[in-house]
Amino acid sequence: MANPRIATQTVEHVERLEAYEHGFVSDIEQEFAPKGLSADTIRFISAKKEEPQWLLDWRLEAFERWQELEEPAWAKVHFPRIDYQDAYYYAAPKTKEGPKSLDEVDPEILAVYAKLGIPLGEQAVLAGVQGAPKYAVDAVFDSVSVVTTFKKELAAVGVIFCSFSEAVREHPELVKKYLGSVVPTSDNYYACLNSAVFSDGSFVYVPPGVRCPMELSTYFRINAAESGQFERTLIIADKAAYVSYLEGCTAPMRDENQLHAAVVELVLLEDAEIKYSTVQNWYPGDPQTGKGGIYNFVTKRADCRGDRSKVSWTQVETGSAITWKYPSCLLRGEGSVGEFYSIAITNGRQQADTGTKMIHLGANTRSRIISKGISAGKSSNTYRGLVSAHPKATGSRNFTQCDSLLIGKDCAAHTVPYIEARNGHSIFEHEATTTRLSEDQLFYAQQRGLSEEEAVQLLVNGFVREVLQELPMEFAVEAQKLVAISLEGSVG
Amino acid sequence: MSLATAFKSGDLTLLPSKRDEDWRWTDLRGLIREVPPPSPAFNGETPPGVFDHLAEDFHVLANGGSAQIVADEGELTAVLRFLSANDGTAHAAKVSIEVAAGASLTLLETYEGYGAGYFAQADLTIRLGEGAKLERIVLAGDDAEAISVSQAEVTLAAGSSYAQTVLTDGAKRQRIETRIAHPGAGASVRLDGGYLLRDRRHADLTTAIAHEGVDGTTSQLTKGVVDDQARGVFQGRITVAHGADRTDARMGHHALILSDRAEVDAKPELLIFADDVQCAHGNTVGALDENQLFYAQQRGLPADAARALLTAAFVGEVIDRIEHETARETARAWLNQWLGVGE
Repeated sequence: MANPRIATQTVEHVERLEAYEHGFVSDIEQEFAPKGLSADTIRFISAKKEEPQWLLDWRLEAFERWQELEEPAWAKVHFPRIDYQDAYYYAAPKTKEGPKSLDEVDPEILAVYAKLGIPLGEQAVLAGVQGAPKYAVDAVFDSVSVVTTFKKELAAVGVIFCSFSEAVREHPELVKKYLGSVVPTSDNYYACLNSAVFSDGSFVYVPPGVRCPMELSTYFRINAAESGQFERTLIIADKAAYVSYLEGCTAPMRDENQLHAAVVELVLLEDAEIKYSTVQNWYPGDPQTGKGGIYNFVTKRADCRGDRSKVSWTQVETGSAITWKYPSCLLRGEGSVGEFYSIAITNGRQQADTGTKMIHLGANTRSRIISKGISAGKSSNTYRGLVSAHPKATGSRNFTQCDSLLIGKDCAAHTVPYIEARNGHSIFEHEATTTRLSEDQLFYAQQRGLSEEEAVQLLVNGFVREVLQELPMEFAVEAQKLVAISLEGSVG
Repeated sequence: MSLATAFKSGDLTLLPSKRDEDWRWTDLRGLIREVPPPSPAFNGETPPGVFDHLAEDFHVLANGGSAQIVADEGELTAVLRFLSANDGTAHAAKVSIEVAAGASLTLLETYEGYGAGYFAQADLTIRLGEGAKLERIVLAGDDAEAISVSQAEVTLAAGSSYAQTVLTDGAKRQRIETRIAHPGAGASVRLDGGYLLRDRRHADLTTAIAHEGVDGTTSQLTKGVVDDQARGVFQGRITVAHGADRTDARMGHHALILSDRAEVDAKPELLIFADDVQCAHGNTVGALDENQLFYAQQRGLPADAARALLTAAFVGEVIDRIEHETARETARAWLNQWLGVGE
């Protein structure tokens, strides 16, 4: 029997969620592109970044195509039409000229990152984690990368880790070769917009046979009002290379909606492996009114070009007013492997439509999808995924598990998987469940002396454990905290 | 979306295309280039049907037409036959079925293609009163070149029970769709299907169940076998409305692909707006188990017989769930005939 008291209490708990802790605004002198979007805005951005002509042409061509595309409407998310002319497409902190070192970065910005708990000093280690390994950080503040750490140490083994703008200047041959080769400019509406106006992001190249000696990470921060963030990340793992990459994101609390339309491209050659982890904690908007928050419309795709390459996406999605995101794997190389581990938590009035695509093109390719969705409040949480096997992808294998947990009477959880099998020598398995936390388990845990809050945390942690285990330790700590905060005291 | 409306208006852009989410794998607009002529009235002799001997109430709709089936008390067995007798012509049929409160109906429904390359549309409206019971068994045997669409709108009342088994061997394009308004309130649904496709045949089994009240159950099992260049499509949607608590809904779709040029597309959807529910779906697509094949061969069965045996066992699960004994045996015979094995 349902216990109405527990149910009411826990729903109230969820409503009393701890406020968004990264919602502060920093008063930093910034310069903007003129408001609105036109070919001139794109020329402005390109000129600001002193880009070569080919890149400007590439952007302008994307812009032309974008004007012909329609905004997609198939996702289970609802929002008023976005006025693309009513936003700034470039916002950058004013800086001194010349090469940057940490000492030259505006102390105000360093203070922001310190407040967010992101160590930009190379000696700094993540607070509270004894003996944690070093990790290099690229800090992106609105439209520009402000600093990248550990570059020298990485360069010693041949790993290139820098801001995208710097890669365009220093390694144009690599950028030219791979940019847009995984996500073509006109792939979809938001990716096309990004191709036209992208500002900064991270660039990683790991040479053949090199195992990147430390975790690489990028921390995205939106600060300026009425602006969008359009970052572009490109990671190339050459033959038998390995890299683990983490990204985190936060934004101030504002009444307006801000657009974040990023593109991430991963290229994997033979025997390469990339582990890509995201903890997404953009401002989700006001939980009561649904006002404000980030629209997170992101295109992420990995291209396993080489045989036996492996890509693993792990995401913890707790923020954003709207999430529209499907990190995907093109399994082209024979025996290549794609993995997708996801925790998506929606609360208040958040809407998430997220999942993955596993496109099996090569023989003996394997993929695995573990998705855990938790919806609370008046939110809506959709898993949408595609698994397809080409006629040539014989011997391919997929396992998909999607579990949804509902907390409260007014939230929604949807599962929309697509399976397209086109050969007789593959095996696809998909299973999905939707339930709420078991009354019996809650009762049992409480009866053993745990408070209701602890019992819920224990069960939720158990529910998402399979995914948390996939995160690198540095992020697992943050993610576990986030999960706890997002659903403090939940459930019945 | 209906063939009949598009043909009547002469506007083929009204046909569903792969751009329509619910028809993404069953494109009709790309296939039909001109409006076909209407089918003439049928005045031949009706060939015998597999369920004729069971009929207490008997309806034949040849080249379209309409019928009404009413079960107002006690138990009734009705036979409903949709015949397509001409080549390359179009027709539409409309049937309304009413099962009064407390009454029970067994509906034995067949689609029979005697013509070639016809365009057939069937619309069924099915209503069950309180505590009413309906078991619907559909055997679809369309022509290989036919385009055939059957759509049923089912409305249930409290405490009613609806059970359906659709078995088909496909057509050039075939869609068998069932939409159910489920009030909960102790009503139960069993919704099963089986598709057996070879050559270039296509079959699309689409279901949508809307749980609108508390205490409803749904159990769904669809199995498919595709060979050669055939294409099987399964789309199942279970929606649980806000407040429809204590809903228990389970969906399973499992398919075997026997050829590298065959295709199976599936979309099992759960849309849940209530928290006190138990909902699950499972979906698997794969080949016959090599180990089982090896075992059967090693026990002395020839490879073909081993394959047929395993396939029969795979699809047999759907047939076992048919409650009406004679219909179950007819269905099994139909399966064995498709597999080319005797009893």
